[in-house]
Amino acid sequence: MQISLKNYTLRYLVFVFLAIMALWASLFYAYILEEVYDNVDDGLKNQKIEIIREAYRNPEILEIREFGVNQFRIWAADKETFSEKNKLSSQFYYMPYDDEQEPYRVLQTGFYGQDGIPYHLEIRTSTVEEDDLMLDLASALLVLYVVLVLSLYLINEFILRRAWRPFKVILDNLNHYRFGKKEDLKPIQTNVLEFNRLNQDIQQMWQRNEQVFEEQKLFLENASHELQTPLAITINKLELLMEDESLTETQLVQLADAKDSLQRMVNLNKSLLMLSRIENKQYRDTEAIDFNRLIHSLVDDLADFIAFKDINVVWQEKGTFVFTMNKGLAVILLSNLLRNAIRYNHAAEGKIWIEILADSISIQNTGKVDPLPQELIFKRFHKGEQDSSSNGVGLAIVKSIIDSYKDLSITYTFEQEKHIFRVLKSFPKSFPN
Amino acid sequence: MKILIIEDEIDLQDVIRTFLEKEKFLVEVAKDYNSGLEKVANYDYDCILLDIMLPGGNGMQLLSEMRDLGKDGSVIIVSAKDSVEDKVEGLELGADDYLAKPFHLAELLARVKSVLRRKHQQGVNMLEHKNVRIYPDERRVEVNDMEVQLNRKEYDLLYYFLVRPDKLVQKTSLAEAIWGDNADQADSLDFIYSQVKNLRRKLKENQADIDLQAVYGIGYKLV
Repeated sequence: MQISLKNYTLRYLVFVFLAIMALWASLFYAYILEEVYDNVDDGLKNQKIEIIREAYRNPEILEIREFGVNQFRIWAADKETFSEKNKLSSQFYYMPYDDEQEPYRVLQTGFYGQDGIPYHLEIRTSTVEEDDLMLDLASALLVLYVVLVLSLYLINEFILRRAWRPFKVILDNLNHYRFGKKEDLKPIQTNVLEFNRLNQDIQQMWQRNEQVFEEQKLFLENASHELQTPLAITINKLELLMEDESLTETQLVQLADAKDSLQRMVNLNKSLLMLSRIENKQYRDTEAIDFNRLIHSLVDDLADFIAFKDINVVWQEKGTFVFTMNKGLAVILLSNLLRNAIRYNHAAEGKIWIEILADSISIQNTGKVDPLPQELIFKRFHKGEQDSSSNGVGLAIVKSIIDSYKDLSITYTFEQEKHIFRVLKSFPKSFPN
Repeated sequence: MKILIIEDEIDLQDVIRTFLEKEKFLVEVAKDYNSGLEKVANYDYDCILLDIMLPGGNGMQLLSEMRDLGKDGSVIIVSAKDSVEDKVEGLELGADDYLAKPFHLAELLARVKSVLRRKHQQGVNMLEHKNVRIYPDERRVEVNDMEVQLNRKEYDLLYYFLVRPDKLVQKTSLAEAIWGDNADQADSLDFIYSQVKNLRRKLKENQADIDLQAVYGIGYKLV
């Protein structure tokens, strides 16, 4: 089970406190008791001296045989048992006030009276009730314990929550972080050293990552770019060579094959360059684009091809889709989708449905009866089987165009044996404050 | 017809020169900004192929210097940077066309011939071979002075062939010229095949003296 840090520490502190307080309580109890007995015993010894003095002055007290108001008794002692030593003990006597046996401290000793007869002396004094003391101590400590735990909990709740707030912001930021979009993140305001460091380190890590990514992007772009010239030279040289009338058919065919492969490389290279341009946001000019009109003109451009493949296009225009974006990108976006719908359609008697609403465009086509893998189709270089003619970048370009506008999204579904690509315009539901 | 190639990649310069010389053009070359400017300033050319990124300066600069000098030769910008901004800027500066690297030599020739035709046309812009005539400005085709109705793709095909009669044109180059960027689909070659078939039929129906001949399954030749 996962538990928040503040409760995590609290859980352990509750037990540790309990142990410390129990140990402390027993030591404290022993110490107090020791001190009490010491005091009481000193009192008793003092009383003994005073009683013996009084006995010399006033032998009447030698007749006190029972504990009364004086809290002592004296009786003549046997020779054998007589001892002048002080013997201290705790005993219980009945106390009428409490109507129960109460603890007393008793001093047993002996002395010689003026007459030289040995006497036994027993002095008692009421002392602390140990069980009561223990009970009082325990309840006092229990209250202390509860107060401590409670205040710990409250401190955790209010103070630590406040103290950990920047940490939560950092967590939130990590959660909301999107590559290259640091401006959306909340700033961290704290004077807690650790959080500042954490935040700094995370920022630096992001920066390093983005830098590496930028470098790789730049590398890809430069590599694609630098490839253009040698490719151009090679292709053109092959073309020149093919002009040679003395070439045999086999030679010519081989040259043509070589040129076709190079041409594919050129096309792939162009697509990669286009991808990196889109990702570098090099298509900045935007204008409001009427997609209904755009799609009509694209379908017109493709009309010969559509007719050639014997595809039936069904229009369902239920609204006007207008979106502000780069014109060139809009053309690439839609033409890639349309070309896909044509390319992957049935060899004959295929169908394409174009449905336009105010906030969505869907392009549906018949084709292979298996759905495409949702998570892969927008990835670069993902190719369907038996598809050597595609370079696998077309839909990646579509996706990166969509991703460069935050109010656009695209979905792929497979329903009723139709492959459906749907471009959606999302209106922000609430304005960020 | 005199053509100047300003291009810093010697290999590319070579291959373009060889190709254009075979097409009976007089070709001169320059490999950087200064020598290019010198040639442009001192001689007149019918057409200049201008690379944008040159050692010593930018092709765009060269273009505007050239216009400042009052030289009105046609200019085709040839650039590895296939960006819309460059295209627009070049055309605004008075370039006649813009061609992105890498390109097919056949495509280059078509563009060169097109700008030359526009420059040297007396009266109408027209391309003629045997009894077939094309008016590119109106996209009109005549055989024996009779107009022939072609659809867009058929017209594009015929134009492409007429620029270089008797030369092999590869199917893939055709597909790219007509079909555009996504020419790498197998479908498009079948499409070309069917369009060529239609075009041949129409030419034959109208008693054209030209025909498209398949060459080893690689491409076609206008004969």
